[in-house]
Amino acid sequence: MARAGRTGAALGAATLFPQVLTRAWGEQEDKHWLDLAVVQGPTAAAVEKAVSLFGGMERFVKKGGRVVLKPNMSFPAPPAAGATTSPEVVAAVASLCLKAGAGEILVLDNPILQPRVCLENSQIKSACAKIGKTRVLAVTDRKFFTEIPVPMGKALKKVEVMQDVLNADAVINLPVAKSHGSTEVSFGLKNLMGLIWDRRYFHNDIDLDQAIADLGTVIHPCLTILDATRVMTEGGPFGPGHLEYPQKIIAGINPVAVDAYGVTLSRWYDGKIFSPRQVKHILHAAELGLGEIDPAKLDIIRSKIS
Amino acid sequence: MRNRTFFQTAVQFLTLAAFVLLLFLTVYPISQGFPYDFYLRLDPLAALGAWLGSGGIPAGFILCLFVVGLTLAGGRLFCGYLCPLGAIVDFSDLLIRGGKKSHPEENDRLRRGRNLKYYLLLTLLLSGFLGFSWFYVFDPISLITRSFTTFVYPAAIFLANIFLDLARPLARYLGLTGLAHASLSQPLYAANFVTFLVFAAILGLAYFSRRFWCRYLCPLGAGLGFLAWCAPVRRRVEAGCTECGRCRSACPMDAIPADPRRTVQAECTGCRACARVCPEAVVKFGWVPNPRRKEYRSEVDFSRRGFLAAAGTGLSLALLGRTNPARADHGPGLIRPPGAIPEPEFIRTCIRCGECLKSCITNTLQPAVFESGFEGLWTPRHQMRLAGCEQSCNVCGQVCPTQAIRALTLEEKKHARIGTAVIRKEKCIAWEKNRLCLICDEACPYNAIVFKMVEGRKRPFLDASKCNGCGICEKVCPIQGESAITVSSQGEIRLRRGSYREEARRRNLEFKSKELKDTFEEEPPGSGTVYPPK
Repeated sequence: MARAGRTGAALGAATLFPQVLTRAWGEQEDKHWLDLAVVQGPTAAAVEKAVSLFGGMERFVKKGGRVVLKPNMSFPAPPAAGATTSPEVVAAVASLCLKAGAGEILVLDNPILQPRVCLENSQIKSACAKIGKTRVLAVTDRKFFTEIPVPMGKALKKVEVMQDVLNADAVINLPVAKSHGSTEVSFGLKNLMGLIWDRRYFHNDIDLDQAIADLGTVIHPCLTILDATRVMTEGGPFGPGHLEYPQKIIAGINPVAVDAYGVTLSRWYDGKIFSPRQVKHILHAAELGLGEIDPAKLDIIRSKIS
Repeated sequence: MRNRTFFQTAVQFLTLAAFVLLLFLTVYPISQGFPYDFYLRLDPLAALGAWLGSGGIPAGFILCLFVVGLTLAGGRLFCGYLCPLGAIVDFSDLLIRGGKKSHPEENDRLRRGRNLKYYLLLTLLLSGFLGFSWFYVFDPISLITRSFTTFVYPAAIFLANIFLDLARPLARYLGLTGLAHASLSQPLYAANFVTFLVFAAILGLAYFSRRFWCRYLCPLGAGLGFLAWCAPVRRRVEAGCTECGRCRSACPMDAIPADPRRTVQAECTGCRACARVCPEAVVKFGWVPNPRRKEYRSEVDFSRRGFLAAAGTGLSLALLGRTNPARADHGPGLIRPPGAIPEPEFIRTCIRCGECLKSCITNTLQPAVFESGFEGLWTPRHQMRLAGCEQSCNVCGQVCPTQAIRALTLEEKKHARIGTAVIRKEKCIAWEKNRLCLICDEACPYNAIVFKMVEGRKRPFLDASKCNGCGICEKVCPIQGESAITVSSQGEIRLRRGSYREEARRRNLEFKSKELKDTFEEEPPGSGTVYPPK
């Protein structure tokens, strides 16, 4: 854990002086301990690098397997608004999946607003149009969801989840980093709410933060790639809001780890500093044993490419 | 029916197919300048309605001059060949009457009734000129467009979804991912029962006679009948007629009087059934050198009594319409589409064709039933609880044939404010039940809803100067029943002409402003829901 300590110290400092201390540590030979890969650079290349630091897409995608990508394409906003996942990120991941031999790549969301316009305005549909075996679909009709029990859930006891997700060989979560009125911030765990049918229930009937954490016990992305190329630091999730441009891709296997790191990416709501524990849904997820919430305890590889 | 010509059947089939295709294509995103409302533009009555309502006729209606010219030259050919409602009436007559010819006595009994359509036209025109417009009720093109939009189209989608459901296992088996996920969003329209009953009644009238609607009721047919009276291309009977009467019972329009050499020109649609059944082959259609010659004439016999009754009805309706409370107050819950011209003109100019309802991507536009008073029947209104107004879409104005909803660019449309949201604190679960809910804030495209801390919890506040009334908040509010945030018409911008953007700026409405933000700073307890506080 010596390495972990070093990473933590670097991270602590990096949150204060990111430009000074962020440095490329290069590829590691033994990757089994790696928690997060943080790559700064041109979007598609950064995605590729981050995935390669985890041993390449072949590690996550079986030959001929069915892959579900879950970007945030819930809002009819252009990529520049920062409300949706960058189409470049989605296209890069889909291409990697294709290269890894995926049999079918479904890019799915249950958008909050008009589905067709969300898919078009986010430009995710057009970005993936020419990638083989890839389909970008809005799944909104209840008949495409199946109810499953949530045995570990504290607030959520059962939930209707997209059948494609239940049948997938691999789910890759592609959230965008942004602020969120209800849950302070929105990263990987919050992004999974786009795979269920009844979101109203989360707000109206049960504790939203706990429900998001509970959902994390039944939907298990094998990889989370957080799009922090731009971060909407206030006004989220739809905006319009203030944007910052870290130009970073954060990849991780553990959803809580990615989200915990995401919190440290920026100040939020005009200068407010959150610790991951202050974000209740991330805290609840950690309490459920879903992952490490303390960024200081994470093994992180940082890389900067040009 | 054997006496129908193949030509007529073919043309009517094509016209119906074109009508359905155009309506089918009237969806987001539309292409500029494509004549989605082609059939409405052909309709002189719709053009008249637009003119009486707003004092101007949109350029698209230039097409109706074609119908006027066609009628002046060849009589009511529009009715016989081009009218989609006429085609449907003909086809359904075939089904309902099973090819039965008109019984001459039946026709005799009903004959005086055909003046009804002229009286109706007169009533419509008179009340229209006096400021109460209801052309839409009987205008055939408006009627059929509205009918197909509000019940044929939803039914077609419903059936298509059943088909897709049935095909889904096979699609999955074959690995057809797109087909396996295909599911069409089901359009729903208020008042579909009412619209259907009117339409079904029109078809059901086949029980009394063929083309009942066209013979006795259609005001457009009446208007074209007037234009047709001296058309040089018309029916004529050459020497050799034996007065066998076959043409009389073959005529779907009862346009052949007791002397079969004559023609009631105002009724003849040029379908040529008479020519087809004539055993002597003496009935011809073609150029007549002097159409006003007596042997061709057979006038419509108006009665002075009927004329006066029609005028009286038109006058009374105009008076009733103009003294109805709906004129003074169109109700706070009635949200008109963005770009709708000022209310009194809007109600007069809208011909209730339903193109806007058909093209609306979210299905928020619904035909009013009673929300807008009797005069506002079938006018479009937003039903926000069903869906909000998509801010990337401006098709309703683009497809409106009379421009009762103005065609606006997206930027202009954004500023064409349709109302203002109001947070109903007593219903809001974030205010009243301390729940973590800011879905309205999440979904608002303009960040007009923000949270502020009151008594340690986040509560939604509204900045009315950023709200354009799109109603997405009202739609997404998770509580059951009526939403805790509702749009009222307060603050709507309705302009006959000129820029909405400039008007919004004049009123200090900036839908992009960033002054008010989400904040964790505490507000005093007892704060309202509107920010800045009054």
